[in-house]
Amino acid sequence: MAVSFQQIEEKLKTEARRLLESGQVSLVLAWGRGFDEKHPMPYVAKGASDVDGIVFNEFCTHNLARYLVRYPRGTKMAVAVKAADSRAVVQLIQEDKVKRHDLVILGIPVYGIKNPKTGEIIDGKTTCGLYNPVLYDILIAEEVHGQPVSSPYAVLAEYEAMDQDARFAFWKKELDRCIRCYACRKACPMCYCDPCFIDQNKPKWGEKSPETPGNLMYHLTRFHHLAGRCIDCGECSRACPVDIPLYLFHKKVAKECEEMFGQAAGMSIEDKPVLVNFRMEDSDKILE
Amino acid sequence: MLKKTAIHQLSDLTSALMGKGTLVAPVREDAGFNFREISDAKQVDLNFHNTIISPKSVFFPQTEDFIRYRTGRPLQEAETVEPEGKPLILFGVRPCDVKSFEIMDIHFSCTGAVDPYWQARREAATLIGYAFDVAAPAEPEEFYQTLGIGAADPEGSDIFMVRRGDDLILKSITGKGEALLAGIEGLAGASADDGKFFDDTVAAGRNFKTRFTCVDAKAITKKLEDLFHNTDFWEKASNACLSCGVCTFACPTCYCFDICDETLFGRGTRRRVWDACMFTDFTLEASGHNPRTKVYQRLRQKIGHKYSYHVRKYGVISCVGCGRCTRHCPVGIDIFSIVEEAMKA
Amino acid sequence: MSFEPKILGIACNWCTYTGADLAGTTRLQYPQNLRVVRVMCSSRINPSFIFRAFQLGADGVLVGGCHPGDCHYNTGNLYARRRLAVTKKILEFAGLEPGRFRVEWISASEGNKFAEVVTEFTGQIKALGPQTKFKIS
Ligand code: SF4
Ligand code: SF4
Ligand code: SF4
Ligand code: SF4
Ligand code: FES
Repeated sequence: MAVSFQQIEEKLKTEARRLLESGQVSLVLAWGRGFDEKHPMPYVAKGASDVDGIVFNEFCTHNLARYLVRYPRGTKMAVAVKAADSRAVVQLIQEDKVKRHDLVILGIPVYGIKNPKTGEIIDGKTTCGLYNPVLYDILIAEEVHGQPVSSPYAVLAEYEAMDQDARFAFWKKELDRCIRCYACRKACPMCYCDPCFIDQNKPKWGEKSPETPGNLMYHLTRFHHLAGRCIDCGECSRACPVDIPLYLFHKKVAKECEEMFGQAAGMSIEDKPVLVNFRMEDSDKILE
Repeated sequence: MLKKTAIHQLSDLTSALMGKGTLVAPVREDAGFNFREISDAKQVDLNFHNTIISPKSVFFPQTEDFIRYRTGRPLQEAETVEPEGKPLILFGVRPCDVKSFEIMDIHFSCTGAVDPYWQARREAATLIGYAFDVAAPAEPEEFYQTLGIGAADPEGSDIFMVRRGDDLILKSITGKGEALLAGIEGLAGASADDGKFFDDTVAAGRNFKTRFTCVDAKAITKKLEDLFHNTDFWEKASNACLSCGVCTFACPTCYCFDICDETLFGRGTRRRVWDACMFTDFTLEASGHNPRTKVYQRLRQKIGHKYSYHVRKYGVISCVGCGRCTRHCPVGIDIFSIVEEAMKA
Repeated sequence: MSFEPKILGIACNWCTYTGADLAGTTRLQYPQNLRVVRVMCSSRINPSFIFRAFQLGADGVLVGGCHPGDCHYNTGNLYARRRLAVTKKILEFAGLEPGRFRVEWISASEGNKFAEVVTEFTGQIKALGPQTKFKIS
């Protein structure tokens, strides 16, 4: 069945109106009109009168889980999520940044969301490649099935095959371009620290200037902080004004974590994030 | 003086310019175009709409060293970095960006406190402007026309270029431009017809349509002042904002910077690095107090500064409508839509 | 002149650092390329220390902690094992030679093992040559 964006939009509005009118939530995180069709924006409906502003179309790429931590604890919120976004919500629950019972999750199964910059359909190449939410209270459309299934890690093969020097040269070229606007961490649902390590002065972890040393420190550390937590939504890379393929590194770390610890990020609220957990039977092999 | 060259001979022109000074021009890079110092005349590529980062980086680089020293007490071997005054040719700047330099001059040289680094580079530079294509529609993000800047305004440039089919027409606007143009060999003379085309383009540029209707700076200034305490309005406007630095870094008229010391291996540099009012720690005080902890306060600052406080203080809006902030904002926040909403509020 | 690598050692107070002491008091010979920083537990090691060490010119980094199960704080090294395994993968994917970073469990009584590991690791780093990729020039 082809998913109709129009139907999703209608259903989102209906549910949002119902939730707000009944007082079940005090805000609904969804998408709204932007300056043109291609640029819908994250949108917050705080009352029934805001509901008409909700929009859903093929360019609704943003991961709204990012905004959950912005509201005070205990705020009752509904959040519209696509597949990867729902994993972010799960991960945030695992990390106790939001409470499950404070949320109404509006799950949107959808295939065909496009990157407005490139016009390409977003799939397993730049994201986790799931199309159905892993956790929801209300399903906004029928689940989508029959899409080509590819491993989200398939795209890594080319880079894993490079020799060390070539890979270093690749990352140096990519990361040297970074202008340190921090859109990547600000768009990331898992980067919620205040202050972020790179903004600290004592100790100062890395240079502030957008040059090789500071850029390397910022990114390697950020990749590490996202280990076992990145849910592969691809927002960081889409946010980047200079198109650095951050998703490649995040995918690699996610793949290694999955192989070493047998758990992917954001799949179940019963899980504990892998790096704040251990098993007695963890093997020293992982250090080899 | 009116000259012309075939576009396919562009590298002859750029290599001649390289003989006259450091050439900075648009270059195609992985993520799009940017102004870069040219080392090979063939790098210059005029098939761009506009660059990702504005050419302000030429006069006001993202990182700039002021003092280099050896660490220790007392500071040893400290030396100031002298401003560079070597001849600079800035090639292919769009009219809105040319206009931005005038606004930046207010802060870096016209208010009494002169920034010697900005000034030295600015004085040493010859600006070669480049008209937008007035036959094609504007890009959706742009609104320079709204702010009274034409798509082909030659004012502010020393030499201005207009593309005519496969030719590039160059006209000197100032004496400095004339001297440079006269010193370049191999350029063809332009015909009277080319001259007419040039003038027609400039005229068409003044009537060129970008988004929005023209604005009354005074009315906006007042309105934004009135709205300052309307938290609802600003919260709504900033609901999506991530509080990152894309919009300010890409902007040609954002001029904030931080001064920091970076020390390593016993050597230190005191340098300035671009900063942005959208960053959480921009207003963080040493006491730990932060007067702008909320995203809406920061977005209000950004818009208020450009469209209100700046007008009140210096008489001009600190925005040229190049559309970079909108184009690169990860969540599609559009500064002028917010101004429009404000006018309706 | 032969290449004398700079190797950063980060050793936990209770096991590896004490093991190093033992190697010293029993006058075991091992290369002098290792400069040791003592931390209270291997889990105190922030991965950024390691990135930064390579930036500041370390040719190799050796982390030492108690054997799993023996951590003075019971579980510190069990967390550290996971974390440092990730660090290693990140370094490698960024293009650093895999041999430049190693984690070893060395107890307070294993002076011999300490000397052996340091000797072997130093040899390995010598063979790899100077680390230039991350080093800030
Ligand atoms: S690191 Fe990137 S892909 Fe991973 S969760 Fe954050 S924004 Fe999404
Ligand atoms: S990079 Fe690390 S410290 Fe910074 S916000 Fe992300 S997780 Fe937090
Ligand atoms: S979004 Fe891109 S340019 Fe900005 S800090 Fe992140 S990687 Fe660097
Ligand atoms: S307006 Fe857009 S680019 Fe600017 S800080 Fe907000 S999210 Fe970032
Ligand atoms: S005390 Fe040695 S590893 Fe924890």
